[in-house]
Amino acid sequence: MTSTVPAAPPADRATAPVVAVRALSVAYRAGGRDIPVAHEVSFEVAPGRTLALVGESGSGKSTVAATLLGHLRHGSRITGGSVTVAGSDVFALTARQLRRLRGSTVALVAQNAGHALTPTMRIGRQIAEAGGDVPVTELLDQVRLPRPAELARRYPHELSGGQQQRVAIAMAIAARPKVLVLDEPTTGLDVVTQRSVLDLVGALRDELGLAAVLVSHDLGVVAHTADEVTVLRAGRVVESAPTRRLFAAPRDPYTRRLLASVPRLDDTGLARVGEDGEREVRPRSAVPADAPVAVTARDVTIDYGTTRAVHGVSFDVRRGEVLALVGESGSGKSTLAWTLAGLRTPSGGTLTHPAGDLARPARSRPRALRSRVQLVFQNADTSLNPRRSVGDAIRHPLRLFGTAATRAEAADRARILIGDVRLDPALADRLPAQLSGGQRQRIGIARALAGRPDVLIADEITTALDVSVQADVLRLLDDLRRERDLACLFISHDLAVVRGIADRVVVLRHGVVVEEGPTEAVFAAPGHPYTRQLMAAALEPDPDARPRAGGTPDSVPGWRDAATPDDVWTDHGDGHRVRRWHPETEAPHETAAATAEETEGAA
Amino acid sequence: MLAFLARRVSAAVGTLFLSSVLVFLAVQALPGDVAGQILGKDATPDAVAALRGRLGLDRPAWERYADWMGGALHGDFGTSLVSQRPVGGEVAAHLANSALIAGVTVLFAVTGSIVLGVIAGLYRDRWPDHLISTVSLVGMSVPEFVVATVLVLCFSIALPWFPAVVLYGPDASVGQLLPAVWLPALALAVVMAAYIVRMARTSVIDVMAGEYVTTARLKGLSSWRVVTRHALPSALLPTLHVIALNVAWLVGGVAVVENVFNYPGIGKLMLSSVQNRDLPVIQAVALVSAVVYTVCNLAADLGAMALNPKLRTRGRTR
Repeated sequence: MTSTVPAAPPADRATAPVVAVRALSVAYRAGGRDIPVAHEVSFEVAPGRTLALVGESGSGKSTVAATLLGHLRHGSRITGGSVTVAGSDVFALTARQLRRLRGSTVALVAQNAGHALTPTMRIGRQIAEAGGDVPVTELLDQVRLPRPAELARRYPHELSGGQQQRVAIAMAIAARPKVLVLDEPTTGLDVVTQRSVLDLVGALRDELGLAAVLVSHDLGVVAHTADEVTVLRAGRVVESAPTRRLFAAPRDPYTRRLLASVPRLDDTGLARVGEDGEREVRPRSAVPADAPVAVTARDVTIDYGTTRAVHGVSFDVRRGEVLALVGESGSGKSTLAWTLAGLRTPSGGTLTHPAGDLARPARSRPRALRSRVQLVFQNADTSLNPRRSVGDAIRHPLRLFGTAATRAEAADRARILIGDVRLDPALADRLPAQLSGGQRQRIGIARALAGRPDVLIADEITTALDVSVQADVLRLLDDLRRERDLACLFISHDLAVVRGIADRVVVLRHGVVVEEGPTEAVFAAPGHPYTRQLMAAALEPDPDARPRAGGTPDSVPGWRDAATPDDVWTDHGDGHRVRRWHPETEAPHETAAATAEETEGAA
Repeated sequence: MLAFLARRVSAAVGTLFLSSVLVFLAVQALPGDVAGQILGKDATPDAVAALRGRLGLDRPAWERYADWMGGALHGDFGTSLVSQRPVGGEVAAHLANSALIAGVTVLFAVTGSIVLGVIAGLYRDRWPDHLISTVSLVGMSVPEFVVATVLVLCFSIALPWFPAVVLYGPDASVGQLLPAVWLPALALAVVMAAYIVRMARTSVIDVMAGEYVTTARLKGLSSWRVVTRHALPSALLPTLHVIALNVAWLVGGVAVVENVFNYPGIGKLMLSSVQNRDLPVIQAVALVSAVVYTVCNLAADLGAMALNPKLRTRGRTR
């Protein structure tokens, strides 16, 4: 497969930039004032090159990228500067010219293909509509989708996330544009799918000589894909540099902090990042050997109607221990978390807590048990009632579980809990919308702590957060489990995050445990090809990252399951065990990945 | 898809069965003597007994229900106590007349209000939106008999273009009724348009703010294509059920408007049969209304299926 970081361009490269953004300022009007979104942003992109716009939420990176297509959000306007694409000043074009520019010169691949494709139109027609002379089936073939003719007749909802994103890319390259704008093209995709989509984008860029502008908050993706990087913060360019230079020697303190905040696959604990971007990794504290078991799962099966989502999963979580459930979407990890929280009922096996049976839904668990197993949701924005103050949100479980006898006591306890999650207790009177994403997630944790739980289920709690905020929330979670001796079930698809926080790891694939063991052992010597594939697909914020223990995604061999009912595991000692498998030589990786996406789509 | 269809149709049949039971219970099995109710308090006991015999009131309720339903399924709703003619024919004639008004109203009001709602949504917060929203709100808040009366004042008295009232009975031909249809249809349209306009406006605004509409725009498509191909199919989905309820309301008897114009429709029949305590007619009219509502909702479900591929492709093997 083509390497997506091309060699340095020839020095005598005479190609003029196809994209030139000069001193661009954008503002939107709110409450009678102009609020700047971007301030004097400048960059250029040459054909065949990829520029990444990097920044956290609110940095204005998507706004700037959209101006390449002459698109501004409702209420926004250009307050200065210019955007030139293929020789035309985008904001000086007439509506008709702008349409032609969008149709033929610049194309966008939007963040979430699931929302960006029209649900009522067949895929083939949506691609054909984008113009160009290339037949739809050829385009679908070009984005490596199997059986293009049949696929063209499907509707978007009949495809998996990875397939939808490939369709969005096919649509974008249909008219053979000169510039491709990719707005967080892989956010929300699994690592394996993400890797293959990025490789596809890189290959197409080289094949068609496209200039690409990649918007991303994920520094791993950027290191893997971009030639140059422009770092944005609050609408201003902080630093602009070739990718290698930027990752090797970031000059601005903000860039240094940003880079240092990204969890690495070889961190042996959580990193604390200093003002100037220095990293200090705090080693994990060992879980005492005699720590009592808080949750025991034995042969748990969970069904959705007639489909089995989880096939006979067993694990223990001890007090003071973080157990990570790892896997792609559809692996059953969130289903397990929700079942433990009492939102679903298992169809078989046992799920127990010293205080009672967890195989029952939350409403029929005794109140004492209910308060001891608590869930923190992935998305704090939607799990808090927007019309109630966050203090209210925390007081409610306090009263419900009877941990606070009076109104005044509940209010006091709520303030203490807000302090416990390292927030200012004065925030109790705010509404969720008045807090930042990280603050809301902390409130979500405080609410879960209100019942004085001994088991905390964290379902992808940092997925929606910026990388620097993620580091803080992870550290908070780590502190809390030490202070409160919590048994923590940590659900995540991000292996680097898991490496930093988890004591033990369970790898799930299609509802089956393929590998489990102490974090160090599993990361040092992943035994199952699927675990290796996951690790190989994880992208590190380093353009020269060497293949890890698992190897590159291409080097992962084909395999088939070889477990029999009486002989399931290969034991590597110290609780590290791997489900039995056999190498399968005739299945090359490419097809394996395509089939994996296929099955996900059908699920 | 077939399973979905089968489920919807069987749900509709179940709904109809339940409503037939309710109609029957409400009219026949309520406490008090039906024959006495019909004849009034001055009736002689002999007359009451005779009527009870004729109505079969001495038999158990379920037996009478089975008889009634068995007849109804064959189009026989019994005999009117007032006109002594078969109820079925009488109801059918009135229903056809109401359907004429409903057809005209639906043709103009539904298409018109969808178009207006879409325009209002596309020009959100600009003058076309303000104009359409205000006018349709006024139409919604004024009672229909006021609208009807004002229309009569304007278009049959001040400007004698349309007849003020219908002088024909239920058996009038379409040609005789047609001139009289327009004013009632207009009155009904004014009243019902507001709901559809507002619904269409809201969902058009929702859909137009969606990511796939932005994507379609950024593909360089014309606004017309973006609206008709990408936005409208999804935007019309929630509107469909509002339309269905409105259509059912139209056919199922718009008593007030029909009375203002003396139009021989099903609403007028309902009103006169209640005044005359003509039980078989009341029962038949109520049952027909239930059928109309159910059929309209079923039609909306099928329409939703046509617009929403998620419903259509459910269960397709992948």
